[in-house]
Amino acid sequence: MKKIWHIGRLDLKLMVRDRAFFFWVLLFPLAFILIFGNLYQGSKTDAKASLTVLNQDQGRWGAYFAEKLKAPGIELAIVATAPETYLRMLVIPPDFSLKIERKAAQELQFRKDSQADLKAGAVADTKISQAIVKLLAELIMYGNRDMKAFFAARSPYRDLVQVRTRLPKDTITKIPSGFDHTIPGILVQFVMMMVLIYGGISVMEDRKKRVLARILYSSASPAELFGGKFLGRLLMGLLQSAILVVAGLLFFRLNLGNAWLSALNIVVFAAAMAALSIFVGSVLRNEEMIIGVSVLTANMFAALGGCWWPVEIVPPAFRALGRISPAYWAMDSFHQVIFFAKGLETVWPNLLVLLAFAAVFTALALRYFKISE
Amino acid sequence: MQQHILEIKNLSKSYGETVALANFSLDLGKGEVLGLLGPNGAGKTTLISILSGTLRDFTGSVTFKGQDLFADRGLKNLIGIVPQEMAFYEDLNATENLLFWGGLYAIPEKELKKRARELLALVELGARAREPVKKFSGGMKRRLNVAIGLIHRPELLLLDEPTVGIDVQAKMSILDIIRNVGREGTSVVFTTHQLSEVEQTCARIAIMDRGTILAQGTLAELIRIVGEKEVVEVSGEFSAAAFSAIIQQFDGNGMEVLSVTDNQAHLAFADPERIPAMMQHLFQRHLPIADLKIKSPNLEAVFLKMTGRSLRD
Ligand SMILES: Nc1ncnc2c1ncn2[C@@H]1O[C@H](COP(=O)(O)OP(=O)(O)O)[C@@H](O)[C@H]1O
Ligand SMILES: [Mg+2]
Repeated sequence: MKKIWHIGRLDLKLMVRDRAFFFWVLLFPLAFILIFGNLYQGSKTDAKASLTVLNQDQGRWGAYFAEKLKAPGIELAIVATAPETYLRMLVIPPDFSLKIERKAAQELQFRKDSQADLKAGAVADTKISQAIVKLLAELIMYGNRDMKAFFAARSPYRDLVQVRTRLPKDTITKIPSGFDHTIPGILVQFVMMMVLIYGGISVMEDRKKRVLARILYSSASPAELFGGKFLGRLLMGLLQSAILVVAGLLFFRLNLGNAWLSALNIVVFAAAMAALSIFVGSVLRNEEMIIGVSVLTANMFAALGGCWWPVEIVPPAFRALGRISPAYWAMDSFHQVIFFAKGLETVWPNLLVLLAFAAVFTALALRYFKISE
Repeated sequence: MQQHILEIKNLSKSYGETVALANFSLDLGKGEVLGLLGPNGAGKTTLISILSGTLRDFTGSVTFKGQDLFADRGLKNLIGIVPQEMAFYEDLNATENLLFWGGLYAIPEKELKKRARELLALVELGARAREPVKKFSGGMKRRLNVAIGLIHRPELLLLDEPTVGIDVQAKMSILDIIRNVGREGTSVVFTTHQLSEVEQTCARIAIMDRGTILAQGTLAELIRIVGEKEVVEVSGEFSAAAFSAIIQQFDGNGMEVLSVTDNQAHLAFADPERIPAMMQHLFQRHLPIADLKIKSPNLEAVFLKMTGRSLRD
C-alpha cells in the first residue's frame, strides 16, 4: 500500500509541475464554463410562477376575473399599462366586460418570455384555465340575475369548479441550465481530457524510458505498480475536479446539491477515466496519438453525454445514443442531485453503470499494460 | 574457497527463432568486480533483464546468496540494477529522483536523504542536485543512472553498458565509481562491448558471444589463450572470401587466422619472422591492402580468437 501511494503520488506531482498545468486545468476550462454557462443560461429565476395581468378592461368583469387568479403558487401583478419586461403576461382587452355582457365570444392573449421557466409556466397556465372555467360556470349559474347584486354579494358559486392539471409522467418541466449545469459539465469533460492526456502520456513515456521496468527492479510487485499508476491518475482526476469545484464555489456560486453524493459521483467517474488512461497509454506509442485520441474521445463523450448542452434538450435518439458515454451517466447523476434534489436511491444505478465502465476499462488496461515496448 | 554471491546455471532464453542466451553459466565471488565483455547482440541485456526479474520464459537457475533468486521478491532489495537506458524522471532533479527510487525500498526517510547526499557526492553531482535532470549532459545522466542503482546499498550491483554514448572523460568517471563501489565490498557485474573498460576496471573478465560464455579469467589468464604471439591486423578493399582463399595458400608455420571480415582480417603469428613472407604472399596475389598493423597480444586478440569477429562490427 505504501508503494502504491509512493508511485501514485509522483504522477500527481509531475502533472502539477508541468508548466502548462494551470492553463490546462484552470484557465482553459474556465473559458469553457463562461462560454457555455452564458449560452445555456436557461430560466430566469422564477420559482414562484410570476404572472402579470394587464387589465385594460373598461367594465367590472376584468378586475373580477383577475381576482380569481390569486393563488399561493402565483406571484400576481395586476397592472394597467404594459411593463417593459415580464416573464408571462395575460392581457385582458378593453371590451372584456362588454363582450361578456353581450355574451359574445372573445380571446385573451397570454404572452410568455422565451426564457421563462416551463414548470412555473405550467402552474400559471393551469391557474388561468381554472379562473376561466370558474368565471364561465358562474356566468352560467348567475347569468340571468342582477349583475349589481352579483358583484355586491359574495358569489355562492365561488369554488364551483376545481381544475387540476396533470403533466404526463416524464414531461421535462425543468431543464438544467446555468452554471450549475455548465460547471459539472466542463468538470466531467476536463477530467476526461486531462486524465487521458496526462495519464496516457506518462504511462507511455514511463514504459519507453523503462521507468516502469525499473520500478519492478525493486521489490514492488506488478500489482503495486499498476495500482500506483491507477491511483496517480485517479488523483489527477480528483485534483482537476477540486480545482473546478473551488472555482465554481468562489466565482459562480456553484450549487452541488448533496455534496457527498456529487463527490462520490466524481470519484467513480475519475476512477473509470484513470483506468481508461492506462489503456490508452499502453496501446498508443507516441504523444501525438495519445493527445489526438484523448481529445477526440473526451470531446465526443462530452458532446454525447450532455456536458456542453443538457441532454434534456436533444432529440430522444441522440439522448439514447448518449448512454454509451460514461459522461452521460455522470451528468445525469449531477442533474438528479443538483436540480432535482434526488438522493442515492435515484442515482445508484448511474453509479453502478460508472463502476461497470471502470471495471471494463480496468480489464482492458490490465490486458494491455506492459512494462516495455 | 571463495564464497559465491551469485551462481548462474544454464540460462537459456530465446525470442522466437533468435537465441539470446544459450546455456549461460557464470559465478560471481563475494566482493568481486566482473566485466562481462560481449559485442552487440551477445545477450548481455537479456541476461541483466532476467536477473532483474522483469523477463520471464527462460530456463536455468540463478542462486543469490544460496537462495533461488526468483523465489523471494524480498531478495531484490539486496540487488541494484543500472539499466542500459536512462530510466528515471527527466522533470525531477537529481535529489528528487534518488528519493523517489529510494522510496521504493523500506529505508527510513532521514537515512534515505543522507544516502542521497552521499551518493550525489560520490557521482559528483552534488553541485547540480537541484536542477531538473533534463538539463544534464549525457555523462551526468549516466552517473545519476548509476547512483539510483546504489541508493539502497545493494550487496550486488548489475550494470548494463553503463558507459554507452558518453565521452572518454565521463567514461573514466563512471569506471572510477564502479571501482569505488567494488572497494567498498559490493559485488559488481558490468557489461560492456568496450575492451579497454574491462582491462582497466575488473579483476576478472568474462567474454561472451551468441548467448554464452566463451572464456573467463584474469586479464593475464585470458591473454595466455592467444599465447605469446604477434597479432597482425590487415585492412583493405577486399572481401572476406577473397582474403580467406588467398591466405589458405600460405604456409604460415604456426600462423593462426583469428578473424576475417570484409575489409579486415586478424592473424596471429607464433613466429614473427614469417610476417614479411605473408605480406609478400598477399601482394603477389594483388590483394588490395591499405594498412597493416602489428600488435602485441592483448584482450582484443583473445576476443577475436574466441568470437571470430571484431568488437567494433
Ligand atoms: N525483445 C526482443 N525480441 C526479439 N529479439 C530480441 C529482443 N531483445 C533482444 N533480442 C535479440 O536477442 C539477442 C540478444 O540481445 P541483447 O540481450 O539485447 O544483446 P546485447 O545487450 O548484448 O546487445 C539479439 O540477437 C537481439 O536481437
Ligand atoms: Mg544491450
